[in-house]
Amino acid sequence: MKRVRIGGGQGFWGDSPDGAIHLVKEGDIQYLGCDYLAELTLSIMQRQKLKNPKDGYAKDFIKLMETIAEECKEKNIRVISNAGGMNIVEAVNQLSNVIKKQNIKNYKIGYVLGDDIKDRLPELMKEGLEFRNIDTGHKIDEIMDRIVNVNVYYGHEPLKECIERGADTVIVGRCTDSALFLAPLAYEFKWQKNDYDKLARGIMAGHMLECGGQVTGGNYDFDWRAVHDMDNLGYPIVEMTDDSFYITKTEKSGGLVTEESCKEQILYEVHDPSNYMTPDVVVDLSRVELEEVGKDKVEIKNIRGRASSDKYKLSVGYHAGFKVVTHLAFAWPDAYEKAQYAADIIMKKMKRKNLKVEDMRIDYIGLNSLHLGLADTSLEVVNNLNEVVLRIAIRTLEKEEAYKIVPEIAPLQLNGPPGASFFGGRARIQEVIALWPTFIPKDAVKLTSHIREVE
Amino acid sequence: MARVYLKDIAHGRSGDKGDTCNICVFARDPKDYDFLREYLTAERVKEHFGDMVKGEVIRYEVPTLKGFNFVMKHALDGGATISLRQDNLGKSMASALMRMVIDDYENEKKGDKNENQ
Repeated sequence: MKRVRIGGGQGFWGDSPDGAIHLVKEGDIQYLGCDYLAELTLSIMQRQKLKNPKDGYAKDFIKLMETIAEECKEKNIRVISNAGGMNIVEAVNQLSNVIKKQNIKNYKIGYVLGDDIKDRLPELMKEGLEFRNIDTGHKIDEIMDRIVNVNVYYGHEPLKECIERGADTVIVGRCTDSALFLAPLAYEFKWQKNDYDKLARGIMAGHMLECGGQVTGGNYDFDWRAVHDMDNLGYPIVEMTDDSFYITKTEKSGGLVTEESCKEQILYEVHDPSNYMTPDVVVDLSRVELEEVGKDKVEIKNIRGRASSDKYKLSVGYHAGFKVVTHLAFAWPDAYEKAQYAADIIMKKMKRKNLKVEDMRIDYIGLNSLHLGLADTSLEVVNNLNEVVLRIAIRTLEKEEAYKIVPEIAPLQLNGPPGASFFGGRARIQEVIALWPTFIPKDAVKLTSHIREVE
Repeated sequence: MARVYLKDIAHGRSGDKGDTCNICVFARDPKDYDFLREYLTAERVKEHFGDMVKGEVIRYEVPTLKGFNFVMKHALDGGATISLRQDNLGKSMASALMRMVIDDYENEKKGDKNENQ
């Protein structure tokens, strides 16, 4: 029976390359999928591209390919990634350079264009599309002059076309994370558009792989102490046949695959489990079953699918002001009281400077910055704090406003309550990019698959 | 009579989509699923989070996993980069839920048993 093994090599832009490299060496895989895009990544990449037209993609991927491309070609492991971000063609150029430099022969790079529709927006609006915000119902007009990027979350089909045409590596932008993995499975098993249960299984294969180590013992709430050799955490492998689906990892790596590690990932960032929407298929997980069938091997059963809607989700990022986060540490005795007093001093100064904020937070790292109002701030806890870090965060419309607080933190080492310790240098002002959730009819989008043969 | 944290009888994971946070929660011991189904209602979760979660909380049950998925709207102070929270992506929201204190845990379970008898 035909069996396909796919590795999940990256959980996000900035993830360690070690898992992917190990999968190529030891994973006995035919495909490696590498996910680099989170919700806001494209906006960040677009900003980079505006500063430098040769920027705007995940350079980490090119570095990874420098290490693995030759071995992948030898073993016929095909690599599929959304590392193209906002500059797919430049990512293809850079990978071509690597392939040429390493003298790898007969190499084909597949890529998909058409997800970046920012320039088409005015034309589409003239045709009557309003791109209303699905949360607020507002028309997109109100943010038109602040839009950073507009990208379509599309499905697996154009990627599958690249694989059919012999691509050794496929580089795309904003397809769904799970489509990176569904594409090779649909190709291998010749799944058709209406094989809903199978497509749903392929989507969930992607869902289990797209966060890298999160299914193999990373972020494992069930029993994190039981995870062995976390420094060498194995990244996940999906083993798929036409009618079965397993999660596993290599024997030589650390980590684990258990019923519980799979449970924690399978509903991760899912909303209604009976209605998990993707552009390829709507997945029904409401009766899903997990079973440990061997060491570090879990079978996933009973995933159902049904037809997807006629719309794509859009990823629209728009400029929404600035923010800055400052830190100042205090030690025992009276660490919390001193930090509170320092916060008070800053607030008085900001009032004198007439600071205009959209939002502001004061938290105490070491006490309540994560669990906020749920943290235990009883006198017993507070009085015995060895140290605490005052964290002040502000969000403003204008950059100059955000800057008002920046130079005021460090001086409190000399001018404030005793024992203050400033670290990390002056705070950096960050641009705030907000998301505008909306949809576009599928037939308004033109996606094209391309192949570049590297000679 | 035992006083337990939710973490003692359940495990889970949280994540974000914009300003919406979801927390999946699973019974550590499958036998506790029915108790959790009774006890860990959407209302109770909403009440637990208080000001931290501004919108509605919806609970989806997944009996085959002995678990639930809680979807909480307006839970991340605007979410992503808008949020000024240290944990703007909601990674620690699961542990914030897990510190829920369940009083009389044994009693509640006994109560269930009594009903069954």
